[in-house]
Amino acid sequence: MSTSAPPLLELTGVHKAFPRRRGEGPVQAVDDISFRVEPGEIVGLLGPNGAGKTTTIKMTCGLIRPDSGVVRVCGHDVARHRHRALGHLSAVLEGNRNLYWRLTARENLEYFAGNRGRSRRSVRAEVDTLLERFRLADKADELVSNLSRGMQQKLAIAVAMMAGTRAVLLDEPTLGLDVETGHEVRALIQEVAAEGRTVVLSSHDMPVVQHLCRRAIVIDRGKVVTDDQVANLLRLFASRAYLVRLAEPLPADRRARLEREFAIADGDDVLSFAVELERGEDLYRLTRALEETGAVVEAIERTTVDFEHVFRQLVRREEPPSGERTLRWGAAHVVA
Amino acid sequence: MSSPDLAAFGNVAVANLRKVVTEMVRYLPNTISLLVTFYAIFLFMLLGVRVLGDPAAADANIRYVIVANAFWFLLILGVSSMGWEITTEATRGTLEQLYMTTMPAWFVLLSRMVATLAVNVALLVAMVALSMVTARQWLNLDLVAVAAILPATLLAVVGLGFMVAGLAIVFKQIQAMLQIVQFVFMAMAFVPISAAPVLELAPAVKGIDMARQVLAEGRALASFAATDWFSLLASGVTYLALGLLVFRLCERRAMTRGLLGQY
Repeated sequence: MSTSAPPLLELTGVHKAFPRRRGEGPVQAVDDISFRVEPGEIVGLLGPNGAGKTTTIKMTCGLIRPDSGVVRVCGHDVARHRHRALGHLSAVLEGNRNLYWRLTARENLEYFAGNRGRSRRSVRAEVDTLLERFRLADKADELVSNLSRGMQQKLAIAVAMMAGTRAVLLDEPTLGLDVETGHEVRALIQEVAAEGRTVVLSSHDMPVVQHLCRRAIVIDRGKVVTDDQVANLLRLFASRAYLVRLAEPLPADRRARLEREFAIADGDDVLSFAVELERGEDLYRLTRALEETGAVVEAIERTTVDFEHVFRQLVRREEPPSGERTLRWGAAHVVA
Repeated sequence: MSSPDLAAFGNVAVANLRKVVTEMVRYLPNTISLLVTFYAIFLFMLLGVRVLGDPAAADANIRYVIVANAFWFLLILGVSSMGWEITTEATRGTLEQLYMTTMPAWFVLLSRMVATLAVNVALLVAMVALSMVTARQWLNLDLVAVAAILPATLLAVVGLGFMVAGLAIVFKQIQAMLQIVQFVFMAMAFVPISAAPVLELAPAVKGIDMARQVLAEGRALASFAATDWFSLLASGVTYLALGLLVFRLCERRAMTRGLLGQY
């Protein structure tokens, strides 16, 4: 009889509400979240501020107890066997704030390894390797307070690596980093994943997610809005996004008429606009409507979309930048 | 994954001792100001005893002050330091990382507390020596007696430290309380049980009282009754257990309400 290995991370029906001041109802931070992460996956956990990402990550680490539901790491129920679960899981929760600033880079690595029950002697070679690999070898004996933010961030990830766990959770790993260091951290995360480790990262940095993650779980208002491969989401949205180029500007009343029927946003200039179509056959409807409004169409092109666009379509809480019209296409349409 | 073995617990203890010593050296101005404060308070007390006290009992009173002052500082450092540590860890953002280990968090904190106590005891021994030289009064340095009394006394100090650590995990801003508690500790260190028998129920007071009788009054270890030892041990074990219980309850509340990472 063969038994399949349990998923690396598994959340089933997880709820969490936090109490507010007296007289006010609780805040539902996480509302019936379920997902699985298999070994070797790189998963992006996305959502606007207050969506429940950090609470979800902290419940996975056993730092917050769910009100109901089960969180398992390699089959270990985190609520019951937190220490066993943490044998397979490490996390960088607050980036450079996860470090002791009055200790050196090397001392931080040794201290956190020591807190996992490992002797200084047994980790010496590993510490050297990690410092080398994270390009911190020349800063090994520098106090963390003297390191740049990027170096501190890399050290925080190195500390998580030091645990030697199969899964690593990274909360906003590129937050506050300059472009160059951001790319360096991105490359390091890719290396970590290439070793076969599972990486779950929460981020607002959509290019990072698009570049690193194969799968994205989007959370909004404590619920999973979508859970799909990044490539699928890009394809899905690309197939529905069109740019209409006109020979002459469309008068406001005619545009308003189109807007009543379609999800429209401004294009590159006054002679173009973007439109989201829910189904392929809606393109016929669009051309008919354009003809009826008397618009002189030069071209209708399928647009390329990046993950930033996908994310904003999935999570529609924030106001779009000024001048941009809100597309009406809602998140509910893509929930599986 | 198997449970951590004894060596793993030992490695946690060593890592925390190394961290405490390293940070103490790096925060040298803090350490120096602590020692200066201790010595300044002792000098004021010495002056008080010499100017205001009964000249006939001056020598005994000075020895009393040396011992009581050392234990007062030990209580402050042992107990309050845990509150400060937790508050600082929460502010820095490292508190949650302490919980991200395969070892029990209470043991990591216990290691930190024991390391802090050990370093502080070493500093206090040096300060007691300096106090004796300054006052030209010599304590009865019965090391066997001290070695017998101190561990059980420190159990209660550690228990109190856990209580404060637990409260700090939940409430964070406990600095004001810690400052007030210093005066309660002063009463615990300076008031003899013979003057206020009810103090025997307070944490660490029995041990301080016994140590004072040995060090300041020259009482022999063998002269203590079995009931004294029982009271000392019962107090230590009870407060340690109580401290751990309060800590675990606070930890549970912090995890339920998501307070570990908040400040």
